[in-house]
Amino acid sequence: MKPARALAGAAVLGAWVALALGVGPVRGQAPATDSCLECHSQLDEERLVKPTRNFAADVHAQHRLGCAGCHGGDPKDMDVTAMDPGKGFRGVPGYEQIAEFCARCHADAELMKRYNPQPYIFSMAEFRTSVHCKKIAEGDKKVATCTNCHGVHPILSRKDPKSPVYKANVPSTCARCHNADYMKGRKVRTDQYALYRRSVHGKALLEKGDVSAPACNSCHGNHGAVPPNTQNISLVCGNCHGREGELFAASRVRDALELAGKRGCVTCHGNHDVQVPTDEMVSTRPPGLCGQCHWPNSPGDKATALIVPGFHGLKSGIAEAESLLRLAEEKGMETASGRELLKQASDQLVSVRAVLHSFDRVQIMTVLNEGAGLASQAARQGRAALLDWRNRRIGMALSLVVILALMGLLIARIRRMERGAAPAPEGGAPQARG
Amino acid sequence: MPGGGGPPARPGWREWLDVRLGLEPLRRLAEHKEVPAHRHTFWYYWGGMTLFLFGVQVATGILLLLYYRASADEAYESVRFLMTQVSFGWLIRSIHSWSANLMIGAALIHMFSVFLLKAYRGPREVTWLSGMVLLGLALAFGFSGYLLPWNELAFFATKVGTDIVGDLPLVGRFLLRFLRGGDQITGGTLTRFFGVHVAILPAIATVILGVHLYLVQRHGMSVPPGVEAAGPARRMRFVPNFLMRDMVGWLAALGVLALLSALFPWELGVKADPYAPAPAGIRPEWYFVWMFQTLKLLPSHVGPLEGELVGILGIGAAGLVWTLAPFLDDAEGRGPRARLWSMLGALAVVYVTLMTVLSYAWGGNP
Repeated sequence: MKPARALAGAAVLGAWVALALGVGPVRGQAPATDSCLECHSQLDEERLVKPTRNFAADVHAQHRLGCAGCHGGDPKDMDVTAMDPGKGFRGVPGYEQIAEFCARCHADAELMKRYNPQPYIFSMAEFRTSVHCKKIAEGDKKVATCTNCHGVHPILSRKDPKSPVYKANVPSTCARCHNADYMKGRKVRTDQYALYRRSVHGKALLEKGDVSAPACNSCHGNHGAVPPNTQNISLVCGNCHGREGELFAASRVRDALELAGKRGCVTCHGNHDVQVPTDEMVSTRPPGLCGQCHWPNSPGDKATALIVPGFHGLKSGIAEAESLLRLAEEKGMETASGRELLKQASDQLVSVRAVLHSFDRVQIMTVLNEGAGLASQAARQGRAALLDWRNRRIGMALSLVVILALMGLLIARIRRMERGAAPAPEGGAPQARG
Repeated sequence: MPGGGGPPARPGWREWLDVRLGLEPLRRLAEHKEVPAHRHTFWYYWGGMTLFLFGVQVATGILLLLYYRASADEAYESVRFLMTQVSFGWLIRSIHSWSANLMIGAALIHMFSVFLLKAYRGPREVTWLSGMVLLGLALAFGFSGYLLPWNELAFFATKVGTDIVGDLPLVGRFLLRFLRGGDQITGGTLTRFFGVHVAILPAIATVILGVHLYLVQRHGMSVPPGVEAAGPARRMRFVPNFLMRDMVGWLAALGVLALLSALFPWELGVKADPYAPAPAGIRPEWYFVWMFQTLKLLPSHVGPLEGELVGILGIGAAGLVWTLAPFLDDAEGRGPRARLWSMLGALAVVYVTLMTVLSYAWGGNP
């Protein structure tokens, strides 16, 4: 068989296989020549040319979806008739129609699965819960819809670091509208971005590039963006801080705070400017935070008077054991079992930091006492190692004294023995000198 | 003398033992054994010193055996238990480890002094050969014992050491698998090294040591050619003169061991993790360092051969020539050939010292 004929045969076979597997053009798939791009790129009006620029970088283009995929029409028709409504042409959606326009595909799970086996399915129902959607419905055009956050022509994948909705870009994208200038005349806070940038979350995401840190949408939602109005705020924080969230949600303090008009976690930690929690927060006196609710001689104050010294006592117990063990290690002593105890005590300290959120004296004191016991055992091992080290030195000194004494005796004996004798020439025993 | 007709006097314990064990020849030997006394007599003590430290090794090794458990899961923990929970366990382990190093040091001094004083000349060729075998056994003791605590440093040092053996042509692959008990260092390697360390090597060493001591006794101490030429050397009695001097040295060694063990107790380090990356600055025991440094200084290729292979073959050839020195050197220990061999010996001392110092000075990164 000649090579050309063989290739043609393979092409025909490939086409049959493709048809048999159902591989074919999908809705709006870009044809080899796209009349939309061809014509619009040559027009004079900037508004009409702009969408064609950088279209190749668009996430839709990368999935082989052309202009017709969103706007309809016939991209094979090289004439103006390509934009015939009879050919499905929809043109540019009105501002209030944009979400519905995108939802045609993004809310279609069947369709989205063709591009991603685990797709995010957009929900208009969820979007309608957002303040943004409600304002749009009221005719407000100064609120965000899909294109305000995701961009348009090109729309980049959210995984693309250049995308405005890439995790680390989300705070600045939100701040494009949530700032004092844009929000003039509205009753909306505008200091969130400045506060967030100073927060532990903001520093982790924006300065360290840690994309596991929360951005605005992690707490507020994205397409259903609202101020968190959950039953209690611990459900929001608890999404990431699971154990603390669970303990707090089960505590009596949660309801007491709600009754007092305070918002759970926010009462002690703040929200947008949440800082790294420090152990100094656990005190009734400033900078401690317990005193802001537990007034003097209240039951809470009495419990705090027990917990706070216990908490700081555990910390100093761990520090003491650490310094004793380090000192022993510097002297070459083996401290593995002491180190193991110290690690367990440190784990208890980490645990107590979480258990504090239960606001349950018995639970907290149980963990504190276990930790203090372990730290005390570790410190005992450190002290024993140092004592052992001292005893080894004494033992060494005594043994050296005995060894040196024996050596001295031997040398004296040899001298005494040989004082009167001269070494013998070959074949004879030592000779007496005198 | 009164009472001559009474019952015969009961024999003392010496007589009692002599009748049963035949100790008289030994007593006569001790009485008559002599050692040459001259300006180089100092070097005679190093054989006895090596033997004393070997005795320390045997005694402390037996004590360690009471607690050591030879498996990858338990070895490290058992040594840690010994060092932290057993009374004087730390001391026994520290003495065992330090004494091993001092023994190799003493053996090396003994070997170089024998070489440079030409004590290997006839009829002591077999004494020299048995000594070289004993040195090889001591190094094997060190290599096999190093892995037994199953810590990180030992694990990777053993890996590097066995990798080098694996580079040998023809037999390398077989030897590597033979040493490791497989392709990798595993708990099986540990068990194998343990068996070698506490059973196979001691059995062989006992026999060869017996032969070595017998030959030393048979031929006596060699007198260096320079002293020999000056006329008959003076002599001293082995018992008690030489033996008491030996004992002074042994006591000094014991003092050094006590000092080292108390001031620098042998560390246990971190437990070996076969999946962890090799720690930085990994280096074999100090007595292997000169070979390690030689291999590192060689270029990646020497002609058509790999640099490492050339190094291994070169060190092997040098070791063979060194071992055969008694047969290649001048039998009288005089003349130009003898001077050449003396020069070679001095060069070897300088080379080994220089390479060892360089390795430590460069911290493993030349």
